[in-house]
Amino acid sequence: MPPILELNGIIKTYQLGDQEFQALRGVDLELQSGEMVALMGPSGSGKTTLMQIIGLLDSPSQGAYQLRGRDVTTLNENERARARNLDIGFVFQAFYLLTRQNVLENVETPMIYAGIPAKERRERAMWALERVGISDKWRNLPSQISGGQKQRVAVARALTLEPAILLADEPTGNLDSRTSIEIMTLFQALHNEGSTVIIVTHEPEIGEHCERIVRLRDGLLESDTPNRSIRKAVAA
Amino acid sequence: MSLVLEQPRITELVSSNSQAGMPLGQTIQIAWRAIVGNPLRSILTTLGVIIGVAAVIALTSLGSGATSGIQKQLEGLGTNLLTVSSGAARGGGGIGLVRGGGQQTITLDDVKALRDQFSSRMSGIAPTVQRNIQAKAGTNNISATVIGSWVDYGLVRNTLPEKGAFFSETDNSGRKRVAVIGYQVATDLLLEVGSKFKLQGISFTVVGILADKGDAGFASPNTQVIVPLSTYSQRLGRQSASADTVSSVYIQGKDKDDLKQLQTDLIDAMAKLHKKEIPEDYDFNVQNQADALSSLNQVTSILTLFLGGVAGISLLVGGIGIMNIMLVSVTERTREIGIRKALGARPRDILTQFLVESIALSVGGGLLGAAIGIGLALLAGGALNITPVIGVSSVLLAFGFSAFVGIFFGYYPASRAAKLQPVDALRYE
Repeated sequence: MPPILELNGIIKTYQLGDQEFQALRGVDLELQSGEMVALMGPSGSGKTTLMQIIGLLDSPSQGAYQLRGRDVTTLNENERARARNLDIGFVFQAFYLLTRQNVLENVETPMIYAGIPAKERRERAMWALERVGISDKWRNLPSQISGGQKQRVAVARALTLEPAILLADEPTGNLDSRTSIEIMTLFQALHNEGSTVIIVTHEPEIGEHCERIVRLRDGLLESDTPNRSIRKAVAA
Repeated sequence: MSLVLEQPRITELVSSNSQAGMPLGQTIQIAWRAIVGNPLRSILTTLGVIIGVAAVIALTSLGSGATSGIQKQLEGLGTNLLTVSSGAARGGGGIGLVRGGGQQTITLDDVKALRDQFSSRMSGIAPTVQRNIQAKAGTNNISATVIGSWVDYGLVRNTLPEKGAFFSETDNSGRKRVAVIGYQVATDLLLEVGSKFKLQGISFTVVGILADKGDAGFASPNTQVIVPLSTYSQRLGRQSASADTVSSVYIQGKDKDDLKQLQTDLIDAMAKLHKKEIPEDYDFNVQNQADALSSLNQVTSILTLFLGGVAGISLLVGGIGIMNIMLVSVTERTREIGIRKALGARPRDILTQFLVESIALSVGGGLLGAAIGIGLALLAGGALNITPVIGVSSVLLAFGFSAFVGIFFGYYPASRAAKLQPVDALRYE
């Protein structure tokens, strides 16, 4: 089976004034479909930059990137938008829900951009909300639900188009520890059902929920090890 | 926790057409939420457009209302009307019903000569003198415009009585003290056909009463008293004025198409009668009612042009206001743009979203402005006694122009939003 994601010699250079700064200095990474990986490292290690490149929010300065067996470094802006839409499911630290749309409409948004008819959109969004256990809140505005609930909505939104990768950037960063465990349990459940998950985090306890831990330091891969003692949350 | 549900196949539903984007209905809904989400700002943003459109519609409606009112009055003064009046010909053809002041140079002999010469081409001729005299009946009195003229006056000036009849040729030749009176004279002095009233202490008998013509306008037929010219000359004429001169002669042409030629021929005939060789020496002028109408139309079109300019400027200012707020809005919603891009919005989707929002703002402002403008026109029209004419074209023009303003001034902010890099937009605090 070909890897679902393959990075080769990824370099990302930022121009800061007249100085060049290399955030990534040649990163290789392979992910098989169905893996659950923690992308870890201290701040400044380049993990956020790597997340942005994987999520097609940013382009590498050099290197090859194949997503679902397709070279995505040569895509134009419209094709990248479509790849973000269909291949990546984002979950952000600050939830990033659209404040004026209710929960259901937030979950529907990626499907609107994908051109899915209204009826299917609605059914599919309700299915995703049930999947994350929050379908009773579909009418609420984001301001009316808790942080943990917001993150569930964000996960539901990420799920709807069956992305190649669920890409979560510090998904528990704004949550208390109990809610954090609930969200990680949700990711584990999705992983068990076959989703490919990348969790970007600097918290070791969060990383321990994943079966493979990739560590970055100073723009280079420091280690890539299987996690022998996967932390399982006690069902709350 | 992990509630496993049957999962619909999504791949079949994803539109294979990579050009497929957000449906317009969704975009409009998003724009609508953005607008009503901040109602005060939305109103303030569109205020420029609202005021601009309202002003244009109110002013043009009142303007054309006033114009058509004056036009109707001019037409009400008589059809195919030519006016020969004393005084030098005025250049440029001003509004022709303003009587020239100064010396009365037209004599009754002139009038009779004209009548004999052109009788086949005119359906009526009415030499006229007039002055304001206090009319009294018992203890009531009213300042009346007393007009001395011939029998044809009623026909030529379209002032035939509603009650009774116009005085006759015999009344004129017999210098009878009879009068046709305006509606207000009749009501104020409590007069009926057959009653008597006094002008300068001289008793007159009412033979006819005119219909109510409304009190607006400069001719105010409601306060007129029309008496036979010979009676006027003998009894009411000014000491100074020569008894056989008149201030104006109203002539009704028989044929509308002959009017222009008749006007020229009348000028030639008058020049001959007064022995004037060159037009600079003419001590009379002959005016056509059509001239008055066309000069009125000229004024109206200049007014319309002027209003168009004012409209253009105010809509320009309104458009700049919309662009300003849209730029602020794009900055404020950078995060939202980033989120939408992360979720798969293409540059075009973002462009459309912001463009639709600015168009909705300006068109909404245009609609509101049109409603306010029509309301203002009706209100002011009521107060000024003008029936406003609300032109469909001016409403459409203001509306279309405001939509154009939305597109034109919304495009730059929208394209800025569309060009934002997702990573920059998401990072924006």
